[in-house]
Amino acid sequence: MARTPKPRQVSITNTGQVTSCAADETILHAAIMAGIDFPYACASGNCGSCISLLDAGKVSMLPRGDAALSPAQMKAGQILACRAQPKGDVAITWLGRGRR
Amino acid sequence: MASSIADQRARACRTLLAQVHAITDKEGITPSALHAIKLKLVALAAKQDLFPPGDFAMPVAQGRNHPLLVEDDDGHGLYLTINLPGKVAAPHDHGIWCVNAAISGRERHVFYRRTDDSSTPGSATVTRVGEVTVEPGTGMAMADHDIHSTEVIGTEPAIGLALYGYALARFPSVVWFHPDYSTVRASPSRRHAAMPA
Repeated sequence: MARTPKPRQVSITNTGQVTSCAADETILHAAIMAGIDFPYACASGNCGSCISLLDAGKVSMLPRGDAALSPAQMKAGQILACRAQPKGDVAITWLGRGRR
Repeated sequence: MASSIADQRARACRTLLAQVHAITDKEGITPSALHAIKLKLVALAAKQDLFPPGDFAMPVAQGRNHPLLVEDDDGHGLYLTINLPGKVAAPHDHGIWCVNAAISGRERHVFYRRTDDSSTPGSATVTRVGEVTVEPGTGMAMADHDIHSTEVIGTEPAIGLALYGYALARFPSVVWFHPDYSTVRASPSRRHAAMPA
């Protein structure tokens, strides 16, 4: 029987909160489900509103538009929380501020 | 001397925009005008020889827009779009009309209607009202505040033409709806920053 990967711990530096995130879940989704007021707009890799700095750990990224995250931003350790799935425990700081 | 593909493409794009203005000058932006524009865009997209893949770089990630003709004076923007399998966009309205037509590949567009009264900031509900798969020979048209989501389906890139009432660099606020969370969020408008002082 396939083992279910252990949920990852996501530390959000802006608020000091820590939330659990499944291996196949995005960081943004986990944060919203935990009631964290994380900035976002498209939540689908198109706008860049949830751009964040990956302070620690590794993520894999779901498909996204080129304009939402440049190669230079990726090189600088930035991710889109709406596309990022943690490969282990991670710590991030959101850099944007979505609008309601 | 025979003109290059790029010259022929530029000429075809200018002709399309002239036809679009002839339609909208006469009718305004109405459902029938958008339908007529869609037919023109589908006809242009069918001229695949004008859009050889080698002329347009593939996305670095999974989605990229190549400007074909961006009008001065706050006019329209025509783009060649490339989206790879798996690329999605959550339900959104552009705040401006748009028309799409496929050159190759397939993209599913699902249409929604907002069902709440907009009285609670940040909250919204939408209901699904229709769906169309844009593939070669077909297209879709949306008015300013129509809501759609997109998803590339199949195994090949969805390459198409997209015509917007404003250029992407001068877009108004795009409003994103999230049925799973019953929320609504807006991307900042680019119109103020793009306007000359």
